Amino acid sequence: MKSPDFGYYEASSIEDAIKFKSADDESVFLAGGQSLIPALNMRLSTPSCLIDISKINELKNISIDDHFISIGASVTHSEVLQNKIILEYLPTLTNVLKMVAHPAIRNKGTHGGSIAYGDPAAELPAFAVALNAEITLVGLKGTRTVSANDFYYGLFETEIKDDEILTNIKYPLLKSNQKIIFDEIYRRHGDYAMAGLIANIEILHSKIDNLKLVFFATGIKPEVAIKTSNFIIKDGYNYSKIKDILKTELDLDADLNSSSEMKLHLATILTKRILKLLEI
Amino acid sequence: MQDNKNIKISFTVNNEIFDNVMVSSRQHLGDYLRSLGLTGTHLGCEQGACGACTVEVDGKAVRSCLILSSQVNGSVIRTIEGLDDPLMEKVKETFLKHNALQCGFCSPGMLITTKEILNQKKHFNREEIRSEISGNYCRCTGYQSIVDAIEESITTNMKEINNG
Repeated sequence: MKSPDFGYYEASSIEDAIKFKSADDESVFLAGGQSLIPALNMRLSTPSCLIDISKINELKNISIDDHFISIGASVTHSEVLQNKIILEYLPTLTNVLKMVAHPAIRNKGTHGGSIAYGDPAAELPAFAVALNAEITLVGLKGTRTVSANDFYYGLFETEIKDDEILTNIKYPLLKSNQKIIFDEIYRRHGDYAMAGLIANIEILHSKIDNLKLVFFATGIKPEVAIKTSNFIIKDGYNYSKIKDILKTELDLDADLNSSSEMKLHLATILTKRILKLLEI
Repeated sequence: MQDNKNIKISFTVNNEIFDNVMVSSRQHLGDYLRSLGLTGTHLGCEQGACGACTVEVDGKAVRSCLILSSQVNGSVIRTIEGLDDPLMEKVKETFLKHNALQCGFCSPGMLITTKEILNQKKHFNREEIRSEISGNYCRCTGYQSIVDAIEESITTNMKEINNG
């Protein structure tokens, strides 16, 4: 459990980090390192150099304007959990983060790191997709914004180009009739979920008007279940029917914890739980 | 000579200042601390699962196996060897009183985590204590006695805070 040989470089600014990265395409960014360093210790990855971006002040802000809550890439999970803006305007995020590993990991692990790493079983990528977050990428050619919906390609594959750095994640402010509900099923506290679901719901006249269901730990990336959402808006919940539809739109890759059949059952049950938590 | 594989850093461990020491870029903090003779920091899994190697960096409990020594430049570190203030001495006694350790492998990490719980200066119920220590594995006690010890430590600490 010792990492391979690599270099270490402490970036002084976003520009400095991009410059170093584009000169060495075998290097990777180090934010909190709570996924990267275990991967290195297990020798799943052999970068030439780690570019430490955790000391760049520009990446450490949480702010709010008329449209978005913006979370800087190297804000830690613990800092998000204690932030007044988040507690007031995006309280579901605190429920989600309490399920991300353990306190000592959350003290170091970062918001941007989790989004950029794109672990298919992690909560935050699915959360960003569910909320239609906007992800800011800065590269040699300038700054661009990508919707979280277009950000994840495949297993740990994202829209980030070799010379780019993820600088912040912008969550649209919730409307007064909008609710975000989250649930997951896990074996051990703080472990990755066997299956999880984040629902973005708009309510009109005590009925679901708009619904976006995003599952995690069910496939190679966060999975949006559009047909299931449409069925629920029209006909509500029915175990066997929802199960049949989910089967057509989720990957349901088996893992050490659960078979495809079990993941399908859990995804169906999570859908029921979410609707129960909605209480309308 | 400093290059990107040999990094010169300065930091403080248990009030002792280390100035301009050379560390290897690939070495994690746990290994480095142990090389300084601070072998109270125990390495269990080295992948962030067991929590035995937890130390305090800049006032926060973190996994020393998931931080590189090169990352702690300018930091203030406290390990189990440095938990000698009156509050933590009392906590250690409370752990002994409740038999909250058997083989002792998890205890350094467990005590650093307990320190972080006490730093929050608020009450925790047993379920909340279990959640706080969920990142620290103990294979001996079954956790009951550890939760007992932490619960009593919190109660004692809160009484002292409220009595000024």
